[in-house]
Amino acid sequence: MTLPNRRSPFIAVMLCLLVLPASRLKAQDTGAAPRADTKLLLKAALVLSPEFCATKTKKGTWGINQETFEIGKAACVELEPALRDAFSNVVSMKEAPAPESDAQVVLTPRFVDIGATQKMGAFSDRELVVLVEWTVRDKAGKTVWIETVQGSAKHHMGNSFTHGKNLKLIVADSVKDMATQSASKMAASQELRKVTAVKSTIEKN
Amino acid sequence: MGGWVGEGNPVIGTDFVRLVGTLAVVLLALPVCAVDKYPDYPVPTAASCSVKAERAGLTVGVLPLENLQEQKTYFRAELTPKGFIPVFLVIENGSAADSFLFDKTNIGYAGVSGNATPNGASRAGEKMAMVGLGGLIAMKLIANATEVQENILKKEVQSRTLSPGASTHGFLYIPVPKKGARDTIHLQVPITKAGTSETFVLNLLF
Repeated sequence: MTLPNRRSPFIAVMLCLLVLPASRLKAQDTGAAPRADTKLLLKAALVLSPEFCATKTKKGTWGINQETFEIGKAACVELEPALRDAFSNVVSMKEAPAPESDAQVVLTPRFVDIGATQKMGAFSDRELVVLVEWTVRDKAGKTVWIETVQGSAKHHMGNSFTHGKNLKLIVADSVKDMATQSASKMAASQELRKVTAVKSTIEKN
Repeated sequence: MGGWVGEGNPVIGTDFVRLVGTLAVVLLALPVCAVDKYPDYPVPTAASCSVKAERAGLTVGVLPLENLQEQKTYFRAELTPKGFIPVFLVIENGSAADSFLFDKTNIGYAGVSGNATPNGASRAGEKMAMVGLGGLIAMKLIANATEVQENILKKEVQSRTLSPGASTHGFLYIPVPKKGARDTIHLQVPITKAGTSETFVLNLLF
């Protein structure tokens, strides 16, 4: 009868130890920048140049462990839908619009770099980090906002059969994370809110 | 005669509990090890940096990480023998109304031998190089250590807008000779007022 009584606190402590790291991870996830509730009432032109969409980065040594990350292709799929959460109107185009166009802000992304870890084990998690620098110009061509956004994702390295699929997954997820964070940061930007306020004042007058 | 010994022979249940306990300790220890692997550099205030410059309410401070042991702590690599010095940069916007644009790609540096101007202003004929690709080159030099490379990238200072009261920080990787004493470095940090063409340059010597 005494054995279960002695065990119970031990099991409880062990359970707590197991649960604590999980709750800490959850707390980290919620630590992201607060998202603005309302969309920016602006017509945004998103410049996705053919060079940007064709961006590929190679990591590793040729013939041994070289991998190609097609980040541009994934970004050109993910960015426009994600930015619709931040702006009332988003139109993507291949080059910057003419000054007489109706776009109120021009959004230009540029890849800064990517970082990819490599692991030996097929089931080992590796991380891909994608850094994109945004430049936002107003109708007059003046830069009103710049920001570097970091997106990341973790996936298994994979074996010779699953590596290709895992590579696509990690690229898609890190780019999706970057796109979501970009929209969130733009929506929360004081400087872009100011552009919206100026535009509203002009329209009222 | 108390405790586990006094209860008689160990039972299967007891071994199972011990096994779970060991597993729990191992699982708990793993994330702790991962966190400590690449610790974050403690962020000082710009005003507390020995090398700093201020203008229009914006303060820039730098701390060069000369000590190889410190480089090993934060990067798990000695960068100076590879030809780079990590320089921690802090920028604080103390202005109440203005936003400023910090574009990393416009930062310039030059080696200054001996006769540097006291306020760090550009001298005639001084050739400034851009630090924009410093991190990228530093990463390439550390071959076959993808985690170290990724940490260098994550710790690098990045371009951003500094709203009133906002700050940013991170490392710049500036080329230096691999051996021997380095020259004084003249760092130029251009800052633009958001939505205007007004740009001013903050000069730092270290």
